[in-house]
Amino acid sequence: MVTQAGFGNHKWAMAVDVDKCTGCQACVLACQVENNIPLNTQDRFERNRSISWIRVERYWEGEFPDIKARFIPIMCQHCENAPCEPVCPVFATYHNAEGMNVQVYNRCVGTRYCANGCPYIVRFFNYWEPVWPESLRNHLNPDVTIRSRGIMEKCSFCVHRVRRGVRKAASESRPLEDGEIQTACQEACPTSALNFGDINDPNSRVSQMKKDDRYYTLMPQLGTSPNVFYLAKVDEDREIALTGAESEGGDGH
Amino acid sequence: MKLTRREFLALSGKATAGAVIFAACGIPERELIVQSPVELPEDLVRGEDAWFATVNPDGRNSDGLIVRVMQGRAKKVAGNVDFPVNMGKHSVRDDVALQLLYHPDRLAGPLSRRTHGGQLAQTSWTQAESVLAAATNTSRMTVVTNPLRGHLGWVASRFAEVRGGRYITFDPVEQGVLHGSIKKIFDADVLPEFDIANAHTVLSFGADWLSSWVSPVRHSVQYGKFRSAETRGYMIHGESRMSMTAAAADMWLPIRPGREGDVALAIANVVIDEGLASAAEITAFTSALPAGILNAYRPQDVAARSGVSAEKIVKAGRRFGSSRPSVAFGGGSAGAHVHGTFALSAIYALNTLVGAVGSTGGVKLNPAPAVEGLSGSATGASFAAWEQELAQWRAGNIDTVIIRGVDLAHGMPNSVDVIDALQSVPNVIVFGTVMDDTMAEATLVLPEKSYLEDWGTDIPEPGPGYAVVGIQQPVVGPTISADEVSLIADARGFGDELLRLAGNDIGASSMQQLVEQTTNGLFNRGGSTASVSAPNSNLFRKGVLQRGGWWDTRATGPSRSFSFPNFIRGKTEAEFSGTSGLGQGIDLTLVPFVSNNLLDGRLSAAPWAQQVPDPMSSAAWATWAEINKEDAKSIEVSEGDILFIKSTSGEIEAIAYPHPGVPRGVIGVPIGYGKIEGGRWAEGRGENVLKIISDKKDEETGALAWAATSVRIQKTGRRLKLPKFEGTVEAFPIEPGVPVLVVAPGETAHEAEAANEAEYRKLFTNDETRREIGRDSIGDRISESESQE
Repeated sequence: MVTQAGFGNHKWAMAVDVDKCTGCQACVLACQVENNIPLNTQDRFERNRSISWIRVERYWEGEFPDIKARFIPIMCQHCENAPCEPVCPVFATYHNAEGMNVQVYNRCVGTRYCANGCPYIVRFFNYWEPVWPESLRNHLNPDVTIRSRGIMEKCSFCVHRVRRGVRKAASESRPLEDGEIQTACQEACPTSALNFGDINDPNSRVSQMKKDDRYYTLMPQLGTSPNVFYLAKVDEDREIALTGAESEGGDGH
Repeated sequence: MKLTRREFLALSGKATAGAVIFAACGIPERELIVQSPVELPEDLVRGEDAWFATVNPDGRNSDGLIVRVMQGRAKKVAGNVDFPVNMGKHSVRDDVALQLLYHPDRLAGPLSRRTHGGQLAQTSWTQAESVLAAATNTSRMTVVTNPLRGHLGWVASRFAEVRGGRYITFDPVEQGVLHGSIKKIFDADVLPEFDIANAHTVLSFGADWLSSWVSPVRHSVQYGKFRSAETRGYMIHGESRMSMTAAAADMWLPIRPGREGDVALAIANVVIDEGLASAAEITAFTSALPAGILNAYRPQDVAARSGVSAEKIVKAGRRFGSSRPSVAFGGGSAGAHVHGTFALSAIYALNTLVGAVGSTGGVKLNPAPAVEGLSGSATGASFAAWEQELAQWRAGNIDTVIIRGVDLAHGMPNSVDVIDALQSVPNVIVFGTVMDDTMAEATLVLPEKSYLEDWGTDIPEPGPGYAVVGIQQPVVGPTISADEVSLIADARGFGDELLRLAGNDIGASSMQQLVEQTTNGLFNRGGSTASVSAPNSNLFRKGVLQRGGWWDTRATGPSRSFSFPNFIRGKTEAEFSGTSGLGQGIDLTLVPFVSNNLLDGRLSAAPWAQQVPDPMSSAAWATWAEINKEDAKSIEVSEGDILFIKSTSGEIEAIAYPHPGVPRGVIGVPIGYGKIEGGRWAEGRGENVLKIISDKKDEETGALAWAATSVRIQKTGRRLKLPKFEGTVEAFPIEPGVPVLVVAPGETAHEAEAANEAEYRKLFTNDETRREIGRDSIGDRISESESQE
């Protein structure tokens, strides 16, 4: 039976509190397990062809002994004005009614224009057919399509979990509760740095986090208007640095 | 009017183009929506899934898990929201359970060989069990397991006892010094809970507690709360390597190896001297110490010894003493020295100075286990005990060794020559899931069930400050292989096999029965605040299985006044192994560290564990060596150079990874690689740093001083590309605040962005900087735009 898709009045967003991220990689593997991402073998690492829908980047700041390591998880930013969408000649990537940047695997013809257009480098091309030893196929997630060679893939905001959650709430004739739907990365994240929810719900956690003074987005100058936003890292040493800049007649803040 | 053919074609073209443009303007918006308005049946997954609660006893602490099972296959592991340790969260170490369950190289059936020199050959369980029965019918027997807190450890211990043999545990990165220090300072038999979530200041040493130390998932959950509390917590971490925990700290103290205790006492001096502790607290801290002994640990003196500036020590002390509640703890490399007990005792004693013991945001002592007969605490036997044990094996005093959950051949340093010891024992029987280095020396290899297929119990250590019993249940049965006629692994439970061999001697016939006895005991214990209540034991057991365990928030640990003995005695100075006779090169101190993903190598068979990037280096699939950039320069080493790392116990090779967070004089190498056997993804991959650790031991506990090895570093002259996630350029932000925006407390992101932009503009309008980085044209453009503004 073909059913009408219920798009509802949701707009999904992810809030990342950088101050809580420890770089533990729990989100990276949880995503890989959930979404049947092929094994990133040594060969793929060496060719820079590993696939990771969410990655944790580590940046250095300062010099020893006052050096700092900063972590930031980066996934598809699900931009409102996504540069990847208009360049797709076959509409394999498009913006859905719920704020998600969606990839339709069976439309994709592998031009890779979208990956070239994405400033966040979060789209991945399947250069090879994904292969698992037969016994490891036992743990593949039946909810998620295995992508074949020659097509693009990327973070889906765990759309299958979203669909399941929406359907479940509808079947029980009740509104969806905030936090009821969790993406795989958020579910794993031990420090709760990752938060997913409906930004159209003013009471949702992500809506509240968006009001935080530490709110920022990646590459705002590009006007992509991402649905993933970040809360800045807090560092007491910065205060000292800025005070120093002011005393030297710098701009400060 | 007559049209030429050329004019006709031109007009037609224009008309067509116009029509297309006109029509394009008029396409209704709905026709441009590319989203499918329907959900197709093939998009919906048929079949019912079930979710089972269990615990992971193979990780660091026991994490409560919920496993999604569909059509008899485990599909996903997630944290159990109810379970008090990890509270719904999980880690890389939990996820890999699926791959170890369905590993293509899982032992399909028993393997045996007649003599140590022979070949392992397949055998039947009937034959294997008869060999097992004959081999274990002796008192000249030793049972070896990893540290186990639940009934599996109890069964192993009891089995050895009823046969008159010995039971001994092994942990390559043993926590004996930690347990010894906790006992000395808090008089506690089990590790306490550190209430990180409610602390305002956390002071830690050596322990990579967010990654691999003791209970990392719980610590991380607490860290998340610590950061988001109304008063954002402040974290100080002292370690000779920039670990994941050091990276998360607000203040990192890059202490020279072996000086952690000195820095702790210097901080104590700051707290006392600046009047940040009450008279009672100072008395509690100093009462057992000889008068004036703390004078040897003044910040300025310790700064010279430790490499941490006196200013930083004072700042850390002020914060620790004044911004309470404060908590101090340590372990890992801080205790892995010949004076490890002194160092950790000094660290834990700091808690008395800030009134942290038994208070919110401090140290909470855990209660005795709620299950009779279980100790609730487990650590590996000391290295000194192991030297004695292996001497017995070598002397021919032991006929049978049963090994489970440890890879002795991989985990023991070269100094004890464990292979020789194993070959001296006539019957070496090893249980496991995937071939390892110890099995390669075994006379009988028995496939063991994964923890997702077996029954068991576990007492989390540390608990959350109250009594918890984790219950492990089989979430899947044996898995049929692709040929549909055999099993992926014809495995048996280790506990079940020992209970079968023991007959009635232990008082139970199976692990399942022991679980039932446990739940019956908990039911009889009662308690209105327990997590499960039911009218009868049967329903109670079902409730416990559904929740993944039992806990009682009122069954808390003791709250008592206590005093500790003088801990500044015996060895208080570090000692390192020598490097004479090791050829050319520079001498560095080896700081081995437990891998975030592989742990000590126990998870290395899983490709997920191999491929997840290391948090600091982003490396995977190979052994790398973290070396200071200046040290690297001194021997003309750059990233990708293969290094010889030589100690008096042996040598390994590793790919150099110079990075800006490594202190001078140390070299960090991950533990967990270098398996000779270990399945297709682990065997022959990387090098085993555990092999070259010297045999130095903590004076008081006999624990292996695994951070007390000096090594000589040489270039091999060969190069390899380091498999890593980051690029080839060192990852410093090209402009401030991008992509990680940093704000000062109280500063808004907008303000920080404005300040960063101003700083960035200054950078490009500064002539000297512009010349240095060769960006004149950009700088000029910015200057022009500024002048226009």
